[in-house]
Amino acid sequence: MIELPVLDAAEAQPSRPKFWRSVSHLKNDPAFREMAAHEFVPGAADGPGAASRRQFLQLMGASMALAGLTACRRPVEHVMPFARKPEELIPGLPLNYATAMPFRGALRGLLVESHDGRPTKVEGNPEHPESHGATTVFEQASLLDLYDPDRSQRVVRNGDEASWQAFVDFCRQYATGAASRRVAVLADPSSSMTMQALRQALTAAYGQVRWVTCDVDPAAQGLAMAFGQRVRARYDFSAARVIVSLDADFLGSTDRDMLHNTRTFTEGRRMEEPGQEMSRLYVVESSYSITGGMADNRLRLRSSEIPALAAALAARLGLTGVAGEGAAFADHPFVVEMANDLRQAGRGGVVLAGETQPAEVHALCAALNSRLGSVGRTMHLFDTQAPADDTDLAGLVAAMNAGDVDALLILGCNPVYDAPADLDVAGALARVGETIHLGLHRDETAAACRWHLPMAHYLEAWGDGRAYGGTMSVVQPLIAPLYEDAHSALEVLHLFTTGTERSGYDLVRDQWKGLLQGDFEKAWRRVLHDGYLPESGYAAMTATASVPAGYRAPAVGPDDLEVVFRLDPKVLDGRYANNAWMQELPDPTTKVVWDNVAVVSPATAERLGVRNELRNGKYYADRLQITVGDAAVDLPVWIQPGHADNSVALNLGYGRTLASNRPEHTSNLFDLDSYVDVYGHGAIGSGVGVSVAPLRTTGAMQVAVGAQATVSDEEYLVVTTQDHGTLPDEMHEARTRGIFRMATVAEYRANPEFVREGEPELIREPWEDYPALWQNNHPTTQPGYKDNPYYKNQWGMVIDLHACTGCNACVVACQAENNIQVVGKAEIGEGREMHWIRLDRYFVSPTDSVEDPHMVLQPLPCMHCENAPCESVCPVAATVHSPDGTNQMIYNRCIGTRYCANNCPYKVRRFNFYNWTKDLPVQVRMAQNPNVTVRSRGVMEKCSYCIQRVREVNKRTNVEDRPIRDGEVMTACQQVCPARAITFGDLNDPDSKVVAKKQSDRRYELLAELSVKPRTSYLGRVRNPNPRLSSEA
Amino acid sequence: MSTDKSLALAGDGYHDEPPLVAGNLSFHEVTEMVAMHTEKKTPLAWYGAFSIANIGLMVLLVMVAYLFWNGIGVWGLNNPVGWGYAIVNFVFWVGIGHAGTLISAILFLFRQQWRTAINRSAEAMTLFAVICALLFPTIHVGRVWVIYWTLPIPNQMEMWPQFKSPLLWDVFAVSVYFTVSLVFWYVGLIPDLATLRDRTTKKFRQKVLGFFSLGWTGANRHWRNYEKAYLLLAALATPLVLSVHSVVSFDFAVSIVPGWHTTIFPPYFVAGAIFSGFGMVMTLMVIARKIYGLENIITVNHLERMNMVILLTGSMVGFAYITEFFIAWYSGVQYEQYAFINRATGPYAWAYWIMMSCNLLFPQFFWVKKLRRNVAFMFVVSIFVNIGMWFERFVIVVTSLHRDYLPAAWDYYTPTAVDVLTFVGSFGLFFTLFLIFLRFVPMVAIAEVKGVMPQADPHFYEDHGDGHTAGHAVEPARP
Repeated sequence: MIELPVLDAAEAQPSRPKFWRSVSHLKNDPAFREMAAHEFVPGAADGPGAASRRQFLQLMGASMALAGLTACRRPVEHVMPFARKPEELIPGLPLNYATAMPFRGALRGLLVESHDGRPTKVEGNPEHPESHGATTVFEQASLLDLYDPDRSQRVVRNGDEASWQAFVDFCRQYATGAASRRVAVLADPSSSMTMQALRQALTAAYGQVRWVTCDVDPAAQGLAMAFGQRVRARYDFSAARVIVSLDADFLGSTDRDMLHNTRTFTEGRRMEEPGQEMSRLYVVESSYSITGGMADNRLRLRSSEIPALAAALAARLGLTGVAGEGAAFADHPFVVEMANDLRQAGRGGVVLAGETQPAEVHALCAALNSRLGSVGRTMHLFDTQAPADDTDLAGLVAAMNAGDVDALLILGCNPVYDAPADLDVAGALARVGETIHLGLHRDETAAACRWHLPMAHYLEAWGDGRAYGGTMSVVQPLIAPLYEDAHSALEVLHLFTTGTERSGYDLVRDQWKGLLQGDFEKAWRRVLHDGYLPESGYAAMTATASVPAGYRAPAVGPDDLEVVFRLDPKVLDGRYANNAWMQELPDPTTKVVWDNVAVVSPATAERLGVRNELRNGKYYADRLQITVGDAAVDLPVWIQPGHADNSVALNLGYGRTLASNRPEHTSNLFDLDSYVDVYGHGAIGSGVGVSVAPLRTTGAMQVAVGAQATVSDEEYLVVTTQDHGTLPDEMHEARTRGIFRMATVAEYRANPEFVREGEPELIREPWEDYPALWQNNHPTTQPGYKDNPYYKNQWGMVIDLHACTGCNACVVACQAENNIQVVGKAEIGEGREMHWIRLDRYFVSPTDSVEDPHMVLQPLPCMHCENAPCESVCPVAATVHSPDGTNQMIYNRCIGTRYCANNCPYKVRRFNFYNWTKDLPVQVRMAQNPNVTVRSRGVMEKCSYCIQRVREVNKRTNVEDRPIRDGEVMTACQQVCPARAITFGDLNDPDSKVVAKKQSDRRYELLAELSVKPRTSYLGRVRNPNPRLSSEA
Repeated sequence: MSTDKSLALAGDGYHDEPPLVAGNLSFHEVTEMVAMHTEKKTPLAWYGAFSIANIGLMVLLVMVAYLFWNGIGVWGLNNPVGWGYAIVNFVFWVGIGHAGTLISAILFLFRQQWRTAINRSAEAMTLFAVICALLFPTIHVGRVWVIYWTLPIPNQMEMWPQFKSPLLWDVFAVSVYFTVSLVFWYVGLIPDLATLRDRTTKKFRQKVLGFFSLGWTGANRHWRNYEKAYLLLAALATPLVLSVHSVVSFDFAVSIVPGWHTTIFPPYFVAGAIFSGFGMVMTLMVIARKIYGLENIITVNHLERMNMVILLTGSMVGFAYITEFFIAWYSGVQYEQYAFINRATGPYAWAYWIMMSCNLLFPQFFWVKKLRRNVAFMFVVSIFVNIGMWFERFVIVVTSLHRDYLPAAWDYYTPTAVDVLTFVGSFGLFFTLFLIFLRFVPMVAIAEVKGVMPQADPHFYEDHGDGHTAGHAVEPARP
């Protein structure tokens, strides 16, 4: 049992796990006491000594039976396992529970694996109608947030540690005079029904209540503007023929509906055979996003110019009243072609705007979709029936400054860090009598508030809510709060409203009693088990959008420098900043880790006189001082091919200040333990990157035009996982080596086997010429190998580059599944990242020009070569082939010569240069998968095709005496993939999906010319560019 | 024989070989000249040199301890570049270790009598260089505490090493080479140890030397057995000279890394090893003959011959460099071509051009006889050869690894201070051992040198008994 220092420090805990034999025991019935005292005839149970054999067996049996409950601190409330009945609970075997994660105001249906009561892995709920088993990076990483050692653990009042009871007492007193008090709540967007009910109760209880949502959602505002009512839009890209994205990174992780977007987008582009049709994606964007990487035609354009382009497009498609605004782009070839294509596509055309665009552009896009007839076909509208969120933070701050707020409750959000700089939230907080902050960390806002309450993680607390499409779910905890003071927003809100404590479980159940029909307990169990309430989606609706009145495109001079603020694809708005997995994750497009950078185009960099100097394989970037109005921030510059000129892209969420209660790890000069301990130097997210919030003002939350940028003298080490060479060189080699193979639709139809074009010839003679050397004597043909029960399955993988968008979900899923350690910025700078699957990013252009190339991303796990070059060079046989055809790493045999890594042509092997787990905080240790060895210092590791999952299924099918069904084994990367780009299965099963994929004419093997016979294949990408815009089609 | 006469006998350079030992020394003088250094009071200069070498050794020990305590991360290695300084140093030291056995075994078989002046110290150098070499593959593994798994020791795991791995072949090749070299060196030492034993008056010294000289009396039977054993060992050591570095080169040649996977590697590595070994012998001998006053035994003629070997092997190595480029182009394999273009023009071009100039260019000056016989100049060149050959291994190991097949995996390798200090420290180890050798063991093979002196000719005392006949024996009239 893992013991947490804080828990054990506090005495007389009411939440300590209790052992009980039955419910009557728990309630301490007199009848039970009587029965327990005389369970056996007198004397029968008493041994001669202190512990008799019988007592011993009793104790052992009881501990075995209760092991799951005792070890896991599971809540007393009944939690329904998803797949297996509780009586099947066997220590050592994981259980899966359905739950859901709130993400930007909507829930994502999840299935969480729990080992002995510890949640260890998050998966999408495969039966949930909206997640379909996939997740984004954030759900994967949320697991580590649960075990974040810097999570706030105690209630804090006026900067001093207090107790939960102190806050309860405060609330009891405060609620007595509720009717005369004016309170305000600042909360994250939430779809929770219980929260909604509590909100109403709060409004009823207090004299005056103002509820402000910390959210910037121009899409919602734009749709409301266009349709005249509050609606939510969801896009069905599978029905789309032509998609126009105006700075919309709808495939990116930060999108609210990313999973649905990616799935339908992939469906709309299936190219199993040349005869099929696929959609065409136009992307107009300022900064390279992964959506831009998937674009068939991409135009790099400043975000501030996109409103004008949108107007020109609208005018071309016959919308009136906007032509004047779009004059600059009226005859732009891109606009002409997009308009032509959209007109032809009609109902199959869809235009969408991104979060960097003002509400008007979203409204105009809705009007365009209305015009095309795609509303109801590719653009679905939902009536969420929720009142519009009050997002007027400025109004609230004004009220606070005016002294009109007696108490402010901040639920989860962090306005001191990320509110517009012109508001001075910290100053306003000081004018409010009682400020109460509920958050996972003692962050910037916590420091400015009178009360700070530790928030329970969603895996620790009951909750509910609705998915993006409205499907209701209960957020079911898998573990009792790790820290006893931690409570959920629901519990705090209820306490604040009524002055009395009530558990989240009761609150949620009360709410659901009104939602479920029939026998409540049965229906409730069903919802917990399934993870969602069927048929509970929002009602679809149709409406016609009108062109927003007074549409204005900002006037932007050709040399005006704009600054674009985006949510970070790794740390979002900063709430994942203290997550080591996320900090270590390479940015999907820049590959930068542990930093945010000011991204500019090569031409702009030259104009500004900044550069990224490559020295000893590391980038030393000039720092750029960016001034907007009076505010300035200082960031390292990053020069990105394909970026719009005169545009600076900044990501939010960095430069956090988080309190940590762990001591600084110091070690003597001779000992590098403190260097190796990533967690040993305060909070993970503190001091990483630069906060760009000071540049954002109420009027310019997404784009600020007219920024000034000057070069500071300092230079700064920017660490990436790629690009250690000079880019044109890399581009040339990547293009000529046939690493990422793609063709246009026309080329594919002309030559369905385009991937074979320019396929390099075998460097060595084919092994078939040496049957005695290769075939006859190959280990896989030896009796010891063939007689093995695993021999009947031969595992293989196919990665469809046509589907893969490069969203990074596989990287984090693999990290979570396989206990991959985080090594920190300095070590990644040394080139020692540990990710088992990486996304290789290549820029491709016919001339190797860095101005406007394509960007492609290629997932690269171990290829599990049949003729593995790593195996033959190991002097101690620590890497060998398994009978089921995987290349295995035997950690405890490895002596660490690194010869295998040198000889791996894919460079997928990762070496443990230090002991990364020696000083891992105890909480982080709890996140580790017990089925995967935690590697020690000095051994090699690499992708194992999730062999632990294979063996788990082997065990099950051996017991059940049946063959493994196709799809029964899923690798972590495959399971998480929102695009379903990864197929894994048995090559010996002729009906398996992987065999079908292997027969695709787009299949190729990377570096096949080396005769290494990789088990992992790729399917080449087919693009559908407009032949009139692109020379290549 | 008068001085005039011996000068005349030095010949005109066409028909006559100059005597191998200059200065008209007698047997006794040779014995004195060599043996005194092991018998006299330890000079202060030796202590000075030994202290410096010891500081180097301490640096090495501290660095190795630091490495063992913290992990391989203290070196500059990264993901594509899994081998760096340690393997570079290993190949460098093994290469140096080649000259000794080549000089003592192969030149012995070829009856190159000039070898006698330098073979003892060259062999000692070999042993110490191989010790330094063995150090590096041992410490470079991630889990040094289980390094013995590379040895075929029966064990409870029922696991053998993996015999397909060139690293395992290395274990065998280098350890066999070390053992044979040690035995060969020791056997050669026996008569000289007996000489020292006979000269000393101290009881303890007599005992120790008596033990190690194995009861040598100089009897005819002893000499006969000794010569046979020496010949056999020379024959046994000769293939090892070629095999060790061939096997070392297999570490690279057997892999599939572009720039490593080359069939030219075995001969190219052997030539390079001889080249670097002679470079190091030259560096050491030029210093030693000066300090120990052995100019008459290690003459400029000897040094000139070594320079010829350096010129020959340097040209072979240079030829190999160019052949590699040709083959990369001729193979039509893009990866090979890129690997070699990247060597010459990529981020490590500086290392490549240091290698090219030191190894290919500088030895070419030895075509000029005057430079070949200029001790100061050859010392400078020998230093360049040492540097160049170290960089050759660096170029091969690092530039091939840092950019191989997939451009996304490319990176750059920068050694850390620990890398550099460990390398510097290995010189400390080497010189510590070499200084101990100079102090306690006759640094020139006394018996063998006497064997090639004119006095050793059985006809030397014929006629007038003054060596005239023997002197004439080398005249052109007498074939």
